[in-house]
Amino acid sequence: MACVTVCTVLAGLRVATAGGGLSVTINGATGAAIEGAVVIAEPLQGAAHPRPGQKLAIMDQHNLRFVPEVLIVQTGTAVDFPNSDQVRHQVYSFSAAKKFELALYAGRAHAPVVFDTAGLVTLGCNIHDNMLGYIWVTDSPWYGRSDAGGHLQLRDLTPGEYTVRIWHALLNESGPELVQRVAVSDNQISAANFRLQRALRAPTHNHGTDKQWADY
Amino acid sequence: MGRLLNAATLARALGLALLLAVPAIACSGELDVSLDLRAVSSDATDTRLGGALGKLRYDANHEGLRLGYLRLGYRGDLSSTLHVTVETVSYGDHDVNPLDFTEMYLDWRPLPASAWRSRLKVGAFYPEISLENRMRGWRSPYTLSYSAINTWVGEELRTIGAEYSLDWLGLAHGHGFEFSTSAAAFGWNDTAGTVLASRGWGLHDRQSTLFGRFANPGGPLGSRTVFYDDLDKRAGYYVSASLRYRGLLELRGLHYDNRANLAAGSDTIQDYAWDTYFDSLGARWTPNDQLTVIGQWLHGRTYVDVTAPSNAWSYQSRFLLASWQQQRWRYSARVDQFDMQQTSCDFCSGPYGTGFVFGDDGHAWTLAAQRSFGAHWNLTLEGLDVTSTVPMRNFLGIATAQRERQLQLALRYDR
Repeated sequence: MACVTVCTVLAGLRVATAGGGLSVTINGATGAAIEGAVVIAEPLQGAAHPRPGQKLAIMDQHNLRFVPEVLIVQTGTAVDFPNSDQVRHQVYSFSAAKKFELALYAGRAHAPVVFDTAGLVTLGCNIHDNMLGYIWVTDSPWYGRSDAGGHLQLRDLTPGEYTVRIWHALLNESGPELVQRVAVSDNQISAANFRLQRALRAPTHNHGTDKQWADY
Repeated sequence: MGRLLNAATLARALGLALLLAVPAIACSGELDVSLDLRAVSSDATDTRLGGALGKLRYDANHEGLRLGYLRLGYRGDLSSTLHVTVETVSYGDHDVNPLDFTEMYLDWRPLPASAWRSRLKVGAFYPEISLENRMRGWRSPYTLSYSAINTWVGEELRTIGAEYSLDWLGLAHGHGFEFSTSAAAFGWNDTAGTVLASRGWGLHDRQSTLFGRFANPGGPLGSRTVFYDDLDKRAGYYVSASLRYRGLLELRGLHYDNRANLAAGSDTIQDYAWDTYFDSLGARWTPNDQLTVIGQWLHGRTYVDVTAPSNAWSYQSRFLLASWQQQRWRYSARVDQFDMQQTSCDFCSGPYGTGFVFGDDGHAWTLAAQRSFGAHWNLTLEGLDVTSTVPMRNFLGIATAQRERQLQLALRYDR
């Protein structure tokens, strides 16, 4: 309990000394919390500040899945695509933000790929069609994914106006309810509460398969 | 499309060249090997592999320690979208080639620039009909012995030709399902139907190889079977469709017709063209990580005659398989029902009596338990109990109704 208190105090001090905070909450159409939603806060004016130490990220392939399913990186980040499965994968994307292909490989056969344009990159494997992964590339250093309670706290935001966008891999809508404009002030925590209008799509499963099999 | 021997020589040379090319392109491909050793106990009647009518791979004369198989598979890349697959296997029985090919094909698989993708396969390969034969080398991860339907597919069907597929990749575009359609043209499958029409259905994992040759099950239809022969120089075809829903359900349908010309073949060459067609429907349901349920149904007809189309057979089979995986253990149970009957006959009077000679009616239960050890070892125990009535058994001097049982313990290594 003491540790929690100290941490909370330290976090509060950090907010107090280094800009504003943003508390984001995302609920579904029925009110249930939405976990794993991507949240990106982009300042309306001025260049985004680079986040140090985020220049190499990893998108693994394990048990015929991309791990993590969704990765958020800042523009210019190199992403490594190791293959931890015993079968080979052929990773590709035709998304406008990054078109690329990694020829069939096992292990670590390819150099990391640099993502230099902001936007959503949808990943696929040409051998395993139900492998789907996503990389969100953003100029902003302020981003994250909602927790099981549908919450995300962003810290150290430069005071000003922000566009806050949310996205989810199973989103079934594309309306204005996914974007909000929020003002952030020094030493204050602003709030952005989102409520989806439609239920998320049902997830795709990977049941009953084995990483050693080659389906006929 | 010459006679098999010419094609065989050519294909052997091609296969050898491919194998020799393995070291050169191994850096962009993968070679894998499997070894399966068995301890067998069986009370089954004499097996087809010896020219008899037994439904199982091992009969009462082939008990004890046996080689299940030794297989060698290679997958390589000629370019980023053009791949080569070669599957070879040895079953350690008396087939003419100690090591032979089961599949050998080129697969062109371009990257999908939209929700649509084309695929093209050229060579010798299995049609996408089975939902249980999922492992490399077209093996089943559920049981040692395949269902009656897919045992027959392994015995008598192979696409030796070209298959074009069009896939709609809905999952990557916000939809819950994907579907594929395929169409294939093939030769060298004019003898498909020989084993089914003479022996009836079987239950085993002994796939026929591309250049293998076996005694035909005993009877009035000739004494030997050359698999994958092209007698009539006329292409057959199949069309198929599949639908996959959110990784939970997969449905497959296929219509096959080898369009064999019945006038091809003769007593002299002891090979006959069988005009064989069938429809197959299958479903695989995987509601969670543990349970897999597979069902399949197949119904068709086959005809043979050198002089007139008066010998016809009808056949159908279905099975239901349930498999439960719990960490390193997997338990599977399958029930097969099958029948085959001759529906017209021009030789059924005279030395063979007045009734239809050929028929098969029965069912089978298969139970299997397996445990994996590490990434490469697997131990499987399988019991198979098949009951069937086959009038042809009269000609071998055994009762037409038989119950055949087989117990196998297999130790498998995959690398």
